[in-house]
Order: sequence, then C-alpha cells, then structure tokens
Amino acid sequence: MRASRRQFLKTASLMSMAGVAGPFALNLAAIGAASAQTAPGYRAIVCLFLYGGNDQTNTLIPYDQPSYDQYLAARDTIAIARGQLTATATGAVASQGGREFAFHPALTSFKTRWDEGKLAVVANVGPLVVPTTKTQYSNRSVPLPPKLFSHNDQQSVWQAQAPLGEGAKLGWGGRIGDLLASRNANAQFTCISAGGNAVFLSGQNVIQYQVGSSGPVAISGISGNLYNSPSAAGAYRSLITGTSANLFENELGVITNRSITLNQLLSANLPPASTFPLPTPTSNLASQLNVVARIISARGALGTNRQVFLVSLGGFDNHDFLLTQHIQQLTIANAAVNAFYGWLVQMGVQNDVTIFTASDFGRTLTSNGDGSDHGWGSHHFVLGGSVLGHEIYGTFPATTFGTSVDVGQGNMVPGIAVDQYAATFARWLGVSDTDVPLVLPNVVNFGTSRYLAFL
Amino acid sequence: MLRHATAPDSTQRSDLVSRGQQAAVGLHICAALFAVALACLAGGCSKSDNPQSPQGSGVDLSSVPPSEYPLPTATDAARFLNQASFGATEAEVNKLRTYGYSAWLEDQFSTPGRSHEAYINAVSASLPAGQSLNDSHVMNTFWREAATGQDQLRRRVAFALSQIFVVSLQDSTVSEFKRGVASYLDILGRNAFGNYRQLLNEVTLHPMMGLYLSHLRNRKEDPARNRVPDQNYAREVMQLFSIGLYELNPDGTPKLVGGQPVETYDSGDIVGLSRVFTGFSWAGSDKSDTRFNGGGTQDPDREVLFMQSYPSFHSISEKRFLTAVIPAGATADPDGDLRIALDTIASHPNVGPFISRQLIQRLVTSNPTPAYVARVAQAFGAGRFTSGLWTTGTGQRGDLRATVAAILLDPEARTAARLADPGFGKVREPVLRVAHWMRAFNARSASGNFLLGVTDDATTSLGQSAMRSPTVFNFYRPGYVPPNTSIATAGLVAPELQIVNEISVVGYSNFMLSAVQNGLGSGSPRDIQPDYTAELALADNADLLIDRVSLLLTAGSMSAATRTIVRDAVNSIAMPATNQATARQNRVRLAVFFTLSSPDYLVQK
Repeated sequence: MRASRRQFLKTASLMSMAGVAGPFALNLAAIGAASAQTAPGYRAIVCLFLYGGNDQTNTLIPYDQPSYDQYLAARDTIAIARGQLTATATGAVASQGGREFAFHPALTSFKTRWDEGKLAVVANVGPLVVPTTKTQYSNRSVPLPPKLFSHNDQQSVWQAQAPLGEGAKLGWGGRIGDLLASRNANAQFTCISAGGNAVFLSGQNVIQYQVGSSGPVAISGISGNLYNSPSAAGAYRSLITGTSANLFENELGVITNRSITLNQLLSANLPPASTFPLPTPTSNLASQLNVVARIISARGALGTNRQVFLVSLGGFDNHDFLLTQHIQQLTIANAAVNAFYGWLVQMGVQNDVTIFTASDFGRTLTSNGDGSDHGWGSHHFVLGGSVLGHEIYGTFPATTFGTSVDVGQGNMVPGIAVDQYAATFARWLGVSDTDVPLVLPNVVNFGTSRYLAFL
Repeated sequence: MLRHATAPDSTQRSDLVSRGQQAAVGLHICAALFAVALACLAGGCSKSDNPQSPQGSGVDLSSVPPSEYPLPTATDAARFLNQASFGATEAEVNKLRTYGYSAWLEDQFSTPGRSHEAYINAVSASLPAGQSLNDSHVMNTFWREAATGQDQLRRRVAFALSQIFVVSLQDSTVSEFKRGVASYLDILGRNAFGNYRQLLNEVTLHPMMGLYLSHLRNRKEDPARNRVPDQNYAREVMQLFSIGLYELNPDGTPKLVGGQPVETYDSGDIVGLSRVFTGFSWAGSDKSDTRFNGGGTQDPDREVLFMQSYPSFHSISEKRFLTAVIPAGATADPDGDLRIALDTIASHPNVGPFISRQLIQRLVTSNPTPAYVARVAQAFGAGRFTSGLWTTGTGQRGDLRATVAAILLDPEARTAARLADPGFGKVREPVLRVAHWMRAFNARSASGNFLLGVTDDATTSLGQSAMRSPTVFNFYRPGYVPPNTSIATAGLVAPELQIVNEISVVGYSNFMLSAVQNGLGSGSPRDIQPDYTAELALADNADLLIDRVSLLLTAGSMSAATRTIVRDAVNSIAMPATNQATARQNRVRLAVFFTLSSPDYLVQK
C-alpha cells in the first residue's frame, strides 16, 4: 500500500488546495486538458435516463396498416391497439419509405413537439464498438460491447466509454465537461445530476455535482448555536471537512466540503422553485427538471456557459405488466418534459438547451406473456429548439422477426452507435472535431458518419 | 397446515420447510439446520414468550473451546461487534471480553429471534378499521430488531443477504405485500447460518422474489404467438445471486485467458434456464389455471407461502444451461427441473468466492485481499471453519455458519495493524449508522414498536431504507469505484460511496442533529429515545466522556485530530454553578453528534 499512500498524499494535497482556492484551481486543471473550443453563448444538454430498459417497440409504434399488422403479430399479448394511436400518429415519414409511426398514447407532448419540428427520433441506436452486422455479431468476428443485455453494465456502456462496463470511471458527459469547463466561471457547475449518481457525468477533472430535486439545502450544524454552544458550529465544519490518511474517511471530507461550498453558491443565486410551476400531477422527475431549470436560470449569476445535466426516471424494466406500467412511466415523462420545455421557452433558452433520452437497452420484440425482456438497440428522442425535428434519423427496422438486424427475439443490432449519438451533442456544445475522439475514443471507428444530422 | 409463519410450534414449522423441499429442494439438505432455536424465528416461539425478551441460546459459554485469539480488549471487542452486529454496546463488549469470540459466536448461532412476519401479523390484527399496512410497518420491525434483537449476528447477516438477494418494496407489485416482505426477511434470517443451497431454494420460491423478478406466473413458450418465457430471474439468479458474470479463481479474482476474463454464461444459457423458471405461481389448495393467474379464491396466506408448481404452464423443451442439459420430455416436471437447475448453479465453483467476497464487503471491509477471500471461500466449500480449538460448520458445501465465522475470525478482520492501512475498512451505510446509535445509547421505543418509517429521502433523511433498494442491483454495487478520487487512483472500490453525495451528507447530518437531541420516529415526544444516563454521569469531564463515546461508536479508534475537535466542542459549554443538568445534556449531545459525524465513525475499520 506504500505506493498508493504516496499517491494519496499527493492527490490529497491537490484536493485541499482546490478546497482553499475553490473552483479556480479546478478550472486551471480543466484548461490544461482542453484545446480552444468554439461556439458562443450559453448551451446545455440534458440527459433523461430511463432506468430499467425502455420498451422501444411500444414507445414508437409502426402505424401504417401493413407495419402495424407485423407489430401485432409479433407481440399480440402486449401490443397497443391501433385505435388508441390515432392522436399520436406521425403521418408518412419520407426517410422511412413513407411508413407511418405513432408515439405511445401517453406521449402527447412529444407528438406536439414533433409537429412543431422540435423533436427528432433516432432509430435503433445502441452500444457498438465498430459498425456491426448481424452476421458479424453471430460470428463474434468484431469486438462487441461487454455484457450486452445486463442492466448495470449496459447503463454504464451507454454512459461511459472507457473502461466499458460496471466500474467505469469516465462518462462522456463528464469528458465533454472536461473540455468545456474552462468556459464556466465555476468548473464544478459544469456537470450536474439531479437524477442520482451516474458515471455519465464523471470526467478526468470534472466532478459530478449532485443536487436534490428540492434544490439546495444547508447543513444546519455548521452555523448558529449548536446545542446551545456558540462556538461548536465552526468546529463541526472542520470536523466534517477534514482530511485523513484513510482514503474513505478522506473522501467523505472532500464530498462534504464540496457540498457546503456549492450549496452556498446555489442558495445565493437560484430563483425560487415556484418560478417554474410544476405540472399537475407532478412527479419527482418534474422536480428534478425544475431544479435544472433554476440552475439554467442562474447561468448569468453563476457564470456558466456550458452545462451537462442528468435527470432520471426508473420503472422501465417491464418484464411484467408492460401495458399498465409503461404507460404510467411515459405519462410522467411526457408531463415533466413538456413542463420543462415550457420553462425553457419562458426563459427564452429553448434553442440553447437540448434534451435527449437514453436507457439501459431496448427490449425484446417477443412477449413473455405480459412483458418483454432485455434487448439491445432502441429508439430515442431528441428535443429542443435547435433540433432538426419532425424526422426519424437512422433506419427504423421492420417490427418483425428474421430481419437483417434481428439477433434473436427481435433484439436489434444497433444501426447507430451511442458514440455517434453522443458525438453529435459534443460537437453542438462546442467540442472541436479533433477533440471529439478524446470524449468518445471509438467514434473514429465510424468513419465519416461520426455525427448525426439532428443538430 | 403448511402456514409459513403462524406455525404454533417447531414441529409444524418444519412442515413449512418441507413444503419448500417438496417443491424443489435437493435431498442433501440437512435437517439438522432447522434446529428448534431457528424454528423460533418464524414465530414458533412467540406464543409463550414475552416478545420483548426472547430466551437466550442455552449455550454454556464457558464450555466453548477457544478460538486462536485471546480474550479481546474492550476496543478489540467493540471493533468485532461493529462487524458482527448492528453496533457495539457496553453489555455486548463485556460479554465478549468475558467469554471470547468463539463462545460469542456459538451463543449467537443458537440465539432465537423474533419473526418480522409475526410482528406484521400482530400489527395487522390491531389496525383500526379502514387502515391498512404500509411500508413503515416493515421498517418498524426492522429497526426494532436491529436495535434490540438479541440475535444480532443473524440480523446483521440477514441485512447483508438482503443486499445480495434483493427484493424491494419500491416495486409497485411487491409493495402490495408487507407481510410477504417481512416473511422474506425472515427466510434470510432463518437461513443466515444454514446452507446456501437451501437459501437459494427459499429465495427462488418465495412469492416476493417471484413477483420482484417476475417468475411468479411465468409461462412456457408459445411459438405460435412468438411468446417466450420471461428471462428475468434466469439472468439475475446467475448474475447477482450465485456466480456473477466472469469465471473466478478461488480467491475471487477473475480467471484470465489470453488476458481476458471468461464469461460464465451467454444468451443461450439464459434462454435455457428461463424455461426452468416457468410454471410457478401462488400457493393454494389446487393447481388450477385460475390460481396460477392469481384469480379465483386466493389463499389468504399466499404471500408467505412458497410458490407451488403448475405443470401445465411449465416448459417441456430442452433446457441447456451451464453444465446441465435437461432433455425435452413428454411430461412437465417443474420441481425436478428446478432442483437440477439450483443444484447446478449452487455447485458452480464461482459461488464460494462470489458470495464470500460480498459478505466480507458487507461485514468487514470493501477491499479484502484475494487471500482473505480464498480463506473464506475455502470454509464455504468445506462447510467447516476452525480457529484455535474451535470448529464450526456441518462439513457440507455452502455452510453459511462456517462462512460467517471465517469472515469474522480471519486475521485480516481481527488484526489491529490493518487500521493503519489507508484502504482498509468500509463506509458504513446510513442504516447501520442509525442502528448503531440506537444500540450504543440503549434507545428505547415508547410504543415498543420503533416507529421510524421509510428513510429514503437523501435530502431530509438517510437516502436508504432496509428492503427498499431502488433496483435488484442493491443500493450500491460491490464493484463501485468513485470516479475522480484517491480511492480510484489506488485501484480500490467503495460500494457504499455510491449513495454518498453532496445531498446525502446534508441529509445525514441534519437527521442526526435532530435525532441526538429529540430522538427519532413519529409521536411527540418522538417514539425512539436514547438513554444517555451513563454519558451524563461522565459529562463533567470531557476526556472521560469522549473515551466512552469513542469506545462505543468508533471502537476506540478516534483520531487525535477528531478528539481535539470533539473535546473543544464539549468544553465550549462550561459547567456552570447552577443548572448543571442542561449543561451536561448539551455536552453529551455535542460529544455524540460530533462523533456520529466524524470520519472515524462513518468508516468502519
């Protein structure tokens, strides 16, 4: 343990410096990693992570009669009746050969944004190392993402590029943050999660900052009288922010110190939650997005120009009760995202903020009776004023078995890699072409189609 | 008379077990595991006992052969108890110092406990009309046993098992069955010193697991309708409950072939195994299709009865997984297929290191050395553990009594020299922190029911509640590496740090600030109140006060730096000439709150 102890002491002294000098010291570190990035003004991306593996087949449903018939035949016990899809049908989509699709009946506001041209669908996107065909997958003749179909691993693979799988330490949101943090007065507000701990937001220098859905809350013990002692509060702060030779003890102090410092900054600068009225009925996801909106609203005071946010919604692992549980979760997502888009319009930043969905994996086309099982490629949504919407990017495979992408049970080998999806956001935020592979090392495997056209 | 938790005596209690065995248990299950004392857990003893004071183990402690370790000092005893219970108390420190580790363990192995399900049943019977059970009732019985249960080791191991074999009230379907969840926690306790194979069987067949991982009501394939069996349980039983993703060496490190880890199973194994977990559903008096689907006249105890098999819904296709091939057959044999499947899984060489490492992480340290894992896995495999003149275990593979003893009496767990290793120990999860506070200060519940409910909210409480994990992947992963930390740089994992963040540190501090002064739980005054009598007696002298608090909460490991801060805080309240009682109270509160917040407490070493 001798070497690690030395390393620890070195790191700890850096950290305590950062604690004293505050965000500026971390900023310098970030500058070191970044080359000159361009793009003016404020921009942010918001990842809505749907934990559990969203059932893509019932999220965007083939609607023209022949396509719907295929869908119904493939999963009749968990299919949504065509009659329920009328209001959310897209009409013919030229890029998909004139086929028609329908959003899940709960996704009414997504359909509205689609009609407004503010929402795009990215079809059959998922983790890949290199472009992969069904035959290559079957023969294992190309490198594949590790532990396909496993929740925790595929969450990690979606969020983080290296090393792949559980235990990953570098998320692509965090790596984008590394490169853009120098544009913020306070680097620690670059990558913010209101949706729980996610490796997505961890960079080499940038640290994920977690906020509660109710906004900043202070540690009571560090101010005022403490059990009638006028002086103990100061001692208490020293106690809970101290350093230690034990690595775990030390990290607790680091987190607490960061919590206190950033909480004070947020408390002083965020507008009240009521600035952005919650939808009725509301949800924890709406509250998460509410605090994101408040932080965006304070961008001037906080001096932030580039931000990456994560919010999350669970409950998508619908092995059972797909029809009744999926609609509940999508109803929550629909109302919360609709409210958030309204708040962006209220602030006039709808062109500067892009929201996108991600999830563990897609699910099987087959039914297990009343649900679906773990899959691979999935369909996702991108939403915002800058999005070239009313379009499906990529190829939406036929919803049947034995297609050129079906690797069993209708699970799809992705046509679009997460890296391409992610690179498109990185470029939009201002990461330079040459730096994008620093964020997404495997993107170079996708040649000239490194970016998608939705932004 | 096959009721899960209402059996009036131990004879009928074993009827319950036999129901599970009839369904699927292999013949090698040792009947001796179900000693009378263990049977009490399921409620068998509650008819005559005062539920507040279960009887002792009956073990003659002075006759237990000594382990390799001498009688512990107070600090060594407290350190052991922080690993082996929900936290040291003065009484247990004294008991351990008097009798030694092996006697304490033997005592615990045989100490009866109270049934969570019996508690829920009693609450249910006394609810006013119109009120129904809620999650708080499950939390209440958990806290009551964590704080005051005599069978502390069993409770601590059961809590660890509940974080491996996860079932969660956060699931909307499971949450309809509070009694079922209490019963599930009971089977973890009942098997904590039993055998892994039996534990796996009961976990698999418990209806709460059946609901949570959706193999309850799982049906055979129907090719004409493109329908396949639900794969959820087949996947997670291998990934999380038994063998994990990669082939392991006996010391828990991954086997490498050409520098690459070797996967334990692939999609084909999942497909094969998923066919085994078809045709199981609610227990009841018949095997009708209606009952399988959950309809008709339901058995009023179905949530606490092991699932039964329904051959007409069980796949007869070939089932190929791991080393097993069950050929296609003409007749469905769900119980026989399940027995083969669980035998196959349980005998996989990964199970010992996979389960041992996680139990070490829950009880002792986040980063055990491979040699430590290997020693514990060896005890798991041999079913026996020896230390000094003391031996425990049945000699059968998967013996958890031997496994637990091997974890707690390993030199790596016991040697005080480990304290100086910057990577030793584990961050205590929030539930353990609060339970230890209750125990150290003899917290008592005015109602007797420990009315502390769900503590999920990280901003205002703990960010963790027993039996309420967000997913089957537990509150945190055994391989979690906190990014951008000196822990990551050192190549270490820190599972519990997955739920420590800028929000949770606020929530915990404010929660304890209030708890230390006002107690915890509902009611006014709050239902759960600490008893600081012993501390108040020392309050005039900061050093004596801190000595006691440090022993109870940090096993005497409080650093000099922490001690200085705590002493200054205590002494910031001078002892006045009058109204000394208030000053003493505040001095004690400062000492306790500061210590509960100190890194010395938050990291169990």
